[in-house]
Amino acid sequence: MHEFDLLMNGFAMLAANPLALFLALVGVTLGIIIGALPGLTATMGVAILLPFTFGMDPVSGLLMISGVFFGGVYGGSVTAILLRIPGTPAAAATAMDGFELTRKGMAGVALGTATLSSFLGGTASIIVLIFLAPVLAGFALKFSASESFALAVFGLSIIASISGRSVIKGLIAGFLGLLIATVGMDPMDGFPRFTGGYTELFNVPFIPVMIGLFAAAEAFKSLEDPKVRLGMAAALGRIIPEWATYRRMLGTVGRSTGLGVVIGIIPGAGADIAAYVAYNEAKRFSKTPENFGKGELAGVAACEAGANGCTGGALLTMLTLGIPGDAVTAVMLGALTLQGLQPGPLLFKEHADLVFTLFAGMLFCYVGMLVIGLGLLRVMGRVLQMPKSVLTPVILVLCVVGTYAINNSLFDIGIMLAAGIAGYFMQKWDFPASPVVLALIMGPMAEANFRRALSLSGGSYDFLYTRPITVVLLTIAILTLFLPLVKRWRSHRAETRQTGAASSLNQA
Amino acid sequence: MSNAPAGGEGPGFGNAMPLTTKIANLVISVVLIAIAASAIAATGDFPKSMLAADVGAARFPIIHAGALIVLCLILIANTLRTPTAPAATGEAPVGIAGYAGVALGMLATAGCIVAMEYVGYGVATAVYMAVIMALMGQRSPVWNPVLAVGVTAIVYGVFHYALQVPLPVGSLFE
Repeated sequence: MHEFDLLMNGFAMLAANPLALFLALVGVTLGIIIGALPGLTATMGVAILLPFTFGMDPVSGLLMISGVFFGGVYGGSVTAILLRIPGTPAAAATAMDGFELTRKGMAGVALGTATLSSFLGGTASIIVLIFLAPVLAGFALKFSASESFALAVFGLSIIASISGRSVIKGLIAGFLGLLIATVGMDPMDGFPRFTGGYTELFNVPFIPVMIGLFAAAEAFKSLEDPKVRLGMAAALGRIIPEWATYRRMLGTVGRSTGLGVVIGIIPGAGADIAAYVAYNEAKRFSKTPENFGKGELAGVAACEAGANGCTGGALLTMLTLGIPGDAVTAVMLGALTLQGLQPGPLLFKEHADLVFTLFAGMLFCYVGMLVIGLGLLRVMGRVLQMPKSVLTPVILVLCVVGTYAINNSLFDIGIMLAAGIAGYFMQKWDFPASPVVLALIMGPMAEANFRRALSLSGGSYDFLYTRPITVVLLTIAILTLFLPLVKRWRSHRAETRQTGAASSLNQA
Repeated sequence: MSNAPAGGEGPGFGNAMPLTTKIANLVISVVLIAIAASAIAATGDFPKSMLAADVGAARFPIIHAGALIVLCLILIANTLRTPTAPAATGEAPVGIAGYAGVALGMLATAGCIVAMEYVGYGVATAVYMAVIMALMGQRSPVWNPVLAVGVTAIVYGVFHYALQVPLPVGSLFE
């Protein structure tokens, strides 16, 4: 099989690059710690470390970022199990049974189960990525400007499903991002739009915006209450579960992994949705569903396998189509851009060796995550005691210096600060930041390809309804945009009928 | 990028909204409408496209700004229609001291950027780090400067030597 040969070649190239292997492990370790610390997310970790990859070779830089991603998704389970404080949103599902197991004195086994399940789920998802990605990339090679425009519109349509409580606020954030994305050189005529004479704005650097929105904004939020400190972690005891116990959960892990991979492929659906769906299905298929929520190991296994199973699926759409599967892959797209690589089908055509070396490295990252995860568990208690009064300033310094490192530009730090201030207020008043990032990435792609397609068709709009792939993608985009709105309107009506009062749903 | 599934898990206001949230919604909407309107006005100076079949540089900004205005008007209408509720009873509200800390942190970051141009990375960052640590409660006369200088030096080492990224020296020292 061609992909298998490329993968073996990738392992050989990786073995000859010990720096890449070392940085992959560094990334995994940092990711686990970042994921474990509440208030820090995998997205934030990737955003902060992204500028560090600028000086590295592509494989080393991208593997370090991937390591942070994988480690971060898993790391959230540590504090979820020990302290009932999820380190990441996906770990909130793990906390349900994880903390109950800690109360029963089974903290170590719960953590060990989480680690093993994360490893199995993540590794399986990368294997799916390896064999599915070239197929999808080959299909995407047939795309012309009109299909690329429709794909970008589909990517933008998921704004409705990632808007959280208020779709209106999510759409406002999305269109604000689209408007900001028009700042810079016009894609067809090269005319500078909204630059105010600043040459630095000819190409709006979206990486400083992402660092500001995801990392600096969180750090500013920490300044509100610096006195938060985590409680002491419980004694762990045995970590690795007995084989007889874990063998009974393998079916759950397999099913959860499959769900995670499928959910990860859907742009806009991330590890937290995968974790909850996997948990629900595990409970449904269990012979003892009444034990879920009271300290059921299978619950922990399902959540972690589902969440980490998402990583391969999210990377699939990002690498093959250039559409980020979730916030983390949106930032990782920035990492690829920094390395001069354009995600999409041409990445597989022109850099197949690099891509499969990356895939080999990702499998190595998950093996590293298993070893480092199990090894770090006993010292995690001390790490979690790091005071915010030191952690927050370090994060802010890394945001400032990391942003400067991208283009050696103080102007970029100003953009990062502006994005951080905007991100802080957006968080405060429930305006989601993810639609802004999605719009910054997809907006220029949509405009440039629309105008190109229109020029190619001589000014006729028939490319919107005569090309089958374009029609299918635009139809899916319309459904994706309006279905969440219809669902909310129907639940609002049902609630109004039941209570006789207006619903709180979609409140502003 | 996923958020909580549709259905909402916000604070238990029922069908009401706290006054502070209403004010924030209205202020943000007005500001965004102003920005969008300015953008539409600015597109009047954009030249027509050189390609006959192209929609021109102004079309997409006008579409995005127009949609933003419409959505903000919907948000204003929804906000004014929703009854006012007492403040949220979930988390403890952030006090004046908390907001002052955030504002000072933002100002300190801006100050760091300006200072970096004149005095360079080392001085600007060490002082910035010390200020932020002090804002967060780390005011020990020994540990505050030690940590500030230590972290600044480590970050310098990583960027300058390991990553070969030159950091600003400062115009006063060039």
